[in-house]
This record gives sequence, structure tokens and C-alpha cells, in this order.
Amino acid sequence: MTWETVIGLEIHVQPATRTKMFCGCATSYGDAPNTNVCPVCLGLPGALPVPNAEAVRLGTLGALALGCAIRERSIFARKNYFYPDLPKGYQISQFDKPLAEDGVVRIESPERGPIDISITRLHLEEDAGKSLHDRLPGLTAVDLNRAGTPLAEIVSGPDMRSPGEARAYLTTVRQLLIYAGVSECSMEKGSLRVDANLSVRRPGDPLGTKTEVKNMNSFANVERALEAERERQIAMLERGEAVTQVTLTFNAATGEVKPLRSKENSHDYRYFPDPDLPPLVLDEAWIAAQRAALPELPAARRARYQNVLGLPEYDARTLIQEPQVATYFEAVVQAGADPKTASNWVLGEAMGAWNETGAFSVAPERLAALVASVADGTVSLQAAKRIFPELATSEELPRAIADRLGLVQVRDTGALEGWVADVIAAHPDEVARFRGGDARLIGFFVGQVMKRSMGKADPKRIQPILAARLAE
Amino acid sequence: MRIGEAEVRHVARLAELAVAEADVPLLAIQLEGIVEFVAQLGEVPLPASTGTVAVGPAQLTLREDVIDPIPLVRGPESIAPVFIDGFFVVPKLGGMVDE
Amino acid sequence: MTARVLAREIGRRFADVASLNATLHWSQAVLDREAARLDVTPEGPLTGMAIAVKDNIVTTDEPTTCASRILTGYTSPFEATVITRLRAAGAMVAGKANLDEFAMGSSTEHSAFGRVLHPLDPTRVPGGSSGGSAVLVATGVVPAALGSETGGSVRQPAAFCGIVGVKPSYGRVSRFGLVAFGSSLDCISVFGKTVQDAARVLAAMSGVDPRDATSRAEPPMAVPATRSDLKGVVIGIPREYFPADLDPAIRASCERAITTLRDLGATIREVSLPHTRYAVPTYYIVNPAEAAANLARFDGVRYGPRHVGPGADVRALYQATRGEGFGPEVRRRILVGTFVLSAGYADQYYVRAQAVRTLIADDFTRVFADGVDLLFTPTTPTAAFKAGEKTADPVQMYQADIFVAPASLAGVPAMSLPIGRDQGLPLGGQLIARDFDEATMLAVAEVLERHVDATAEVRA
Repeated sequence: MTWETVIGLEIHVQPATRTKMFCGCATSYGDAPNTNVCPVCLGLPGALPVPNAEAVRLGTLGALALGCAIRERSIFARKNYFYPDLPKGYQISQFDKPLAEDGVVRIESPERGPIDISITRLHLEEDAGKSLHDRLPGLTAVDLNRAGTPLAEIVSGPDMRSPGEARAYLTTVRQLLIYAGVSECSMEKGSLRVDANLSVRRPGDPLGTKTEVKNMNSFANVERALEAERERQIAMLERGEAVTQVTLTFNAATGEVKPLRSKENSHDYRYFPDPDLPPLVLDEAWIAAQRAALPELPAARRARYQNVLGLPEYDARTLIQEPQVATYFEAVVQAGADPKTASNWVLGEAMGAWNETGAFSVAPERLAALVASVADGTVSLQAAKRIFPELATSEELPRAIADRLGLVQVRDTGALEGWVADVIAAHPDEVARFRGGDARLIGFFVGQVMKRSMGKADPKRIQPILAARLAE
Repeated sequence: MRIGEAEVRHVARLAELAVAEADVPLLAIQLEGIVEFVAQLGEVPLPASTGTVAVGPAQLTLREDVIDPIPLVRGPESIAPVFIDGFFVVPKLGGMVDE
Repeated sequence: MTARVLAREIGRRFADVASLNATLHWSQAVLDREAARLDVTPEGPLTGMAIAVKDNIVTTDEPTTCASRILTGYTSPFEATVITRLRAAGAMVAGKANLDEFAMGSSTEHSAFGRVLHPLDPTRVPGGSSGGSAVLVATGVVPAALGSETGGSVRQPAAFCGIVGVKPSYGRVSRFGLVAFGSSLDCISVFGKTVQDAARVLAAMSGVDPRDATSRAEPPMAVPATRSDLKGVVIGIPREYFPADLDPAIRASCERAITTLRDLGATIREVSLPHTRYAVPTYYIVNPAEAAANLARFDGVRYGPRHVGPGADVRALYQATRGEGFGPEVRRRILVGTFVLSAGYADQYYVRAQAVRTLIADDFTRVFADGVDLLFTPTTPTAAFKAGEKTADPVQMYQADIFVAPASLAGVPAMSLPIGRDQGLPLGGQLIARDFDEATMLAVAEVLERHVDATAEVRA
């Protein structure tokens, strides 16, 4: 009998605000410790929180992108627990009245095809600071620069049935939030973090005991960690042991999950509404305006690329992965390039720079101009690929670069005739074989002419001349 | 509601408050007295739905997302009990939680 | 009087009353600096007025300890909004006053730095928790002082000390810089030798503050104009505040004041606030719950003295710092507050208390909607009690708040003013007004103040 895996994810994303959730400190990354701090985020006696309007706006946009209903009245609560990097002894977080609920995200399951994953809630909260355990021997060093940074926590339903689905869900949610302009969603920079809940059961049985897996620093590792945890639980159950509720961390080096010692004060957070913060009330008109301001989301964009621009599914799907890529592609098309040709260039030559630096090196208008010079026969595709890197480093137009590099195609019949005559003279054996019936050798002769012309000959014009001379 | 000594120890642990063993019995009696006193609210008939708490503004006024921290006239190093290399420093986490 | 002369005079007066233990921090150097600052501050509504400040309101030039060992030696690196506003209005901030630790108490016996003595009888308490501020005003050291109210901590000591104490509407004055105790109840409040002094200070510091999300965007309060009579004013007398076993002197003082109000033209009407008797138990759930969370930040990590117990890990740091830093009443409240929010009990206690709180607030809304302008009640059930009389039984101490807790829970403005004496000890009468109608309350109080002989014995 098989086992069914049940997975739910909690994703924390950092809305791209300039300042913290409840104070005017900058949310910069990598500054000297304890420099972006003030009475509020240090939890000094007498300080009070005042929420950031932009965090609320971005949280709302994110919730709308995830298909959630926005609550017109949500409540910030205090979640009470002690930790050295939690300055107030409580975290301000929305609890029983979150910003948004009841969303749904369609994902592409590797096993089940397109499926819907429910979003239970999206709520706003503040981040804790950072505790460094290896900085000073035997001591813990606390940096509160991050304390008070806004977070949107997105909780899915227990709707995923495999680690692959978890990864697909993460990819989709990340894409949606980037499209909606909510967050950079960078795991490296900590602006996206994932915790996973996993249980296994016999199909049709009630939910099994779930465990929580933390410390996964990439989407690939989420998948690996969940695979490891699934195996661990199945092995336990098959040995006749019971799964116990536990938190585990993933060790990316060994690929293993390891249970954490359980906290003694586990989970009595004594939530109650934060008396420092009146209800967050968002009126219907404002919510409608946010909905209207939502940019085109990936699914809609993909459909448009296929249906309106006529791209193959693979191209459309690949281009929309990253919104910046799609935006760049659209700019190239906007500048006059044929969509499929533009797609080939964007997913081909242009990706090198993107993969290395996260930015495109050639302005879209210049790429479009290059595409145009291939289309009108000024340069060959091969030559264009040599021109492309030059476009990034010089200010010249593609035509000028082609001139400078001597890459403008030669279409002058006299010159072409000369190169053809030279090639025929230099390869008597091949000429004999061709004339003897080996028609495949035509490609060889074209190649030789291209070589002799240093790549400048227009291949479309070589062929008729070659055919005529070889037939003599 | 009886408040036992175990309850006092449990609550003191949640509140991270050292309570001397010798003080536990008296605290249990005092807490029980207080809890018994406040428990009389159990007799108040409540309407089906009560309003939300009546104090303060009806809704939040939000802050613009502008970098404008409330200035500190003295830095964290001047108030911290232990401050090394720009960090607040505490002992190892030990048995409290995992490191 | 120049600011410099005033600073010297205030310094002399602090020294004169030192035995009452009303002041935790003051120095001539800081007073002189204040004077120098005032020399270059434009004239304002409070120019020439020295104001003492309860030591749970943060200032940058004197320590802020909340009368707790857990903040020994702590000086805030930022200043409360009220301090900034008072200074801008020309006031001299003069000294930090003693209080019950973290404002938890009704007698100022729970200060880590010793109890405050009643100025007329050193064996008695001055009330609390703002006892130090009350004594500084009662003894004439300063004409006005800031206290804080969570559940009567200004009105009750004002009554005990024979001065005026005004709690504004919740949200009228910014709490930014007030060390939080019960955040949904806390109001920075004012003591004055006279209604006029208290009103001037309140007007200068009131108004919305972008740093406090619970402050309200109402027009700032003005000092009310003096009126000659009380014609057209309807004053409600809530019967729940006059139980059969009310102390006879308290009853006599109130009856005399009510007669005066009627003689001045006010319409007196008996009213009912049926949930009054649940105010104290409600208060003692809401307040400790909020306090337990508010006091979690005192953990020895970022500020304040640090103690590390056996084990030498972070828990040992927390437990010892908090165990040694907090006094008995604070510990009790933290334990109660943690208990009423803990798993399995929150619905029974905290959630229910919040529901009852709305009923208490509704009582006030109803009578004020019914044409009543103000309520008049006793401030306290007795005159100043003896030191040590109630410290053994916390619940008995809590009952001292019985007449002051309801207005705190409802968030409405209330004040106490002296209305007579019993065997030399002052007695206070309380006025309670509708939300944000401090103006009517203060104007009526000012008329009553002129017509009641507050020093007269009420029992012949």
C-alpha cells in the first residue's frame, strides 16, 4: 500500500518598503550592526509602534495577487515569547483577524498537472533581529537592524501532495509576488523564507501527525528537505513507530533533516490584541483601487504571449518566469522586432548577461535594431551574434559595428563569383564526387566559400552561383 | 478556581521570572485570591454581541514610508549592559532554545 | 522671577521636602540648565511654571527608573512628547517624582526606593501610584506636576493630598514616552494646586501625536473660560457610587458639594451605572494582562542592570534579571496577567473582561446620551489610609480604586478636586465627563472650587 504525503507551506516575504513596519528606520541590508535602530525597534521603555502605510499597501497587493479576500478590519496582536533578538518580549503580528484570507493559486504539479492550492491567510507582522552564535566564543551577539522589518506571512492549506508540488507552489507564489511588485523575494537576502509542514497517511485516512521543517535556503533544498522528511516519516511508520510533532532543520551538506530539541515553553504565545494599535480599517474603495492597480499577472501574460504574439508555449512559459525578462522581451518587441525572433534572442544571447548580473546588457531598442539588420540581410545571423556583445560595450549602432568589424554581408556577384571559382579550383576531388552524384557536398562548398569570405558572404546568394558553376 | 503551586511555577516560567521556592506558597494564595476576585465577572450576563473596546481611535492612522527614525541622543552602547563590537551580547542560549 | 531665580527656589523647595521621599531624581545643575534653556525659549502659555514629572515619563537629562530596580541607572536616549510640548510652552521641567513601581499601586508604598509620606500625616500614604507628584504639588514645591493614570493613579492621590488631579480622555494626550503599564488605560494626567493650573498644563500638552497611534485627531484642548454659575448644566449622581455603607465623612462631603452645585444653578439628577461594581475585577484582568506583555521588554539584554543566575545561559539571565529587578506587586501582576492570557484561561478571563469592559463604557455612553453633562461622585471610599494597612492583602488595596476604575475603563475624562476634610485629612469629589469634553468638566470644577470650602471639616 502506498503512502500519501500532505504538505503545507508558510512563506514569509519582506515587502519592499524603505522603512520598517512600525518605525521610520531604514530596512537596509548589510549595514554595521545596530545602526538602523531607534527607540521603537530597540523596544525602549516609552516607545510606541506606528504602522507603515506602504507595508499595508504591498501586503494588500500580494494578497490580491494570491486571490485572497481582504478584510476591511484587521487586528494587530501581540505574540508573547522571550528571545534575545525579540526586543519587546512580544512580536506584533496579526492573529485571528489577518489582513487577508481565502486565496487560491493555480500551480503546475509535476505529478498531477494543473491544480489549485488554497491560501489560508496572509497577515502582516514584524521580523525579529539576528542572533549570531559564532561571532563571540560562548556568547550570543544580537543585531537589531532587522528587528521590526515588515513581513507578510502567507499560509497555504495542506494541499500539496509531493515535494515537487511544494517547489512548484513556491515558484508560482514567488513569481506572483514579484509581478505584483510586493517583494524582491530573494532567499539569499532573506526577503523570502519558507517553513514547511509535512505529514504522511494512507490515502483516505485522516491527516497524520505533522512535523515542521525549517532552515531551507533554496527552493531546491525545500524539495530535498521534504523528500528526506517524507522518507523519515514513512520509515518510522513502517517500523510501527508513531510520528511525533517536532521541528526539524535541514542540513544542506548532508541532505538530512534533524529534530531540534523542543522548547520548554512551547507554543503558549498568549496572543491578545495590541492595545497600542487600533484596528486597521481598509475601505472598499481603497481595496478596489489596489485591485485595479495590480499589474498583469504571469498567467495572463503567458496566455497573451501565446495567443496574441503567437509564441510557442515553451517560449511563453520561459519568458514569464522572471518579470524583468518578460518586460525586456516586450520592450524588444515594442521596438519593432518580430516576437518569435525577439524571444530567440532574449532567451539566447541576452540570457548570458542576465544570468551573471541579473540585468540585461543591451538596450532593447539596440537589440531590435540588430534583429532588423538580420531581417534585411545586412548581416548574417552568425555575424549578428558577434555584434551582440559589442552592443553592450559601445555606443555605435549595429550597422556601424558591422562596418567596423567588416561583418556586412557581401552580396556583390563579382566578389561571390571570385570566391566560388577559388573554392572549385582548390577542391578538384570534391568537385568530381559532387558531379558524380554526391549532392550532399553542396553544404561543404558553401562552408568553404563562407570561410574564404571570412564569413561576409551572404549564404543565400552563394548557393545559386555554386550550383551554376558546379553544373558546368 | 484553585491556583496550585504548580500553576505558579508554570506561569512564572512563561513570564521568565525567577520565583524563590519559599515564595511559591504565598504567591499561590495571593494569586488564588486575585483570580477568585476577578472570577465574579463570570456572573455578568453578556449580550449576544458586545461592541469592541470603546477607547482610542476607531481606526489606525498609518505612517508614510519615509526614512525618519526617532533620534537617539545616546547610542545603544550607552544603555546596554554588555555591548561588544557593535552587538548587544548575551550568554549562550543553553537549555532555553536550540542554537 | 527670572528662570534662574526660579530654578534656585525650586531647588531649595526640593531640599525642604526631602524627608517625604517624593522626588527620585533632581539636581540643581539640571534645574539651572533648564533655566538657561528657558532664557532662550520664546514666551509661552506656561512661562514661569515649574512642573515635576512622574518618573515613568522619559526625559533625557535625568534617569527614568519607574521606581524599579530593573531600571536603576537608566537614562532614556529620547524624550516623551509631553516633555517636548511643555518645554516649548515655556515650562521648566523640574525633577522626577517617586511612584509605585511601574505605577502599580494605590499608595506609593510599592516604590523600590522607599514609600512616599503623606504631607499632613507621615504615618499615612499619599495615595498612588503618582504619590510623589501629588506630594510635590500639595507641599507647594511646584504648582503642577505630571502623573499617569491607569486606574485612578492621579485622581486618588489628588483626593488624599487635597489638590486637583485631572485624567483627560484616553487619546487626548500622547503616550509616547510614558513607560507603558496598561496601554489601553494609560493616560498622562495632571496635578494642579488649582483647576486653572491643571487646565493650562493639560491644554499645552494635549493634541494628536504621529508617534502614538492611539492619540486622537481632535482639536487641541483649550483652557476653558471662567463661568459665574452652573445654569443649564445637568449633573448626574450615580447611585452605585453611594452605597449604604459609604464612609459617613465621604458621604457628607459629597452631599455638601452637591448642594453647592445645585445652589449654583445646576440641575441634579440621580442616574444609574449598573456595571460599576464589575469595574475593579475587570480592571484587574485587563491591566495585568497588558502589563505582563508591556514588562516583557525588561529582560537585561538591551538596557538596565543585568543579573545572571545559575546555569549562566540566556534563561538564567532573564529569570535572574527579572526576578531581582521587579518588586512584589509587579511580580504579582505579571503572574496574574500571564495567567489570564494563558492557554485554557484566556476566554474565561481576558476575553470576558474585555466584553464586560464594553458594558461599563456603554453605561457612561447611555447616561451622557440621556442629557447628563457630568457625573459627580466621591473619588475614594476613604480618606488617606495608614501605611501598611492594605499591603498584606492585594485585593483590599485594589478596592481603593472602586470609584476611579470605571472612567479609566471607559476612557472618559475624569478629575478629582478637594471638597472638604475629615479630621484634617482631605477628601476629594470626582467629576466625570463625556469623551473629549474636558472643557465642561474643568469649567464646572473651577466654579465648584471657588464655592466649596475645601479646608472645612465635613463632620461637625
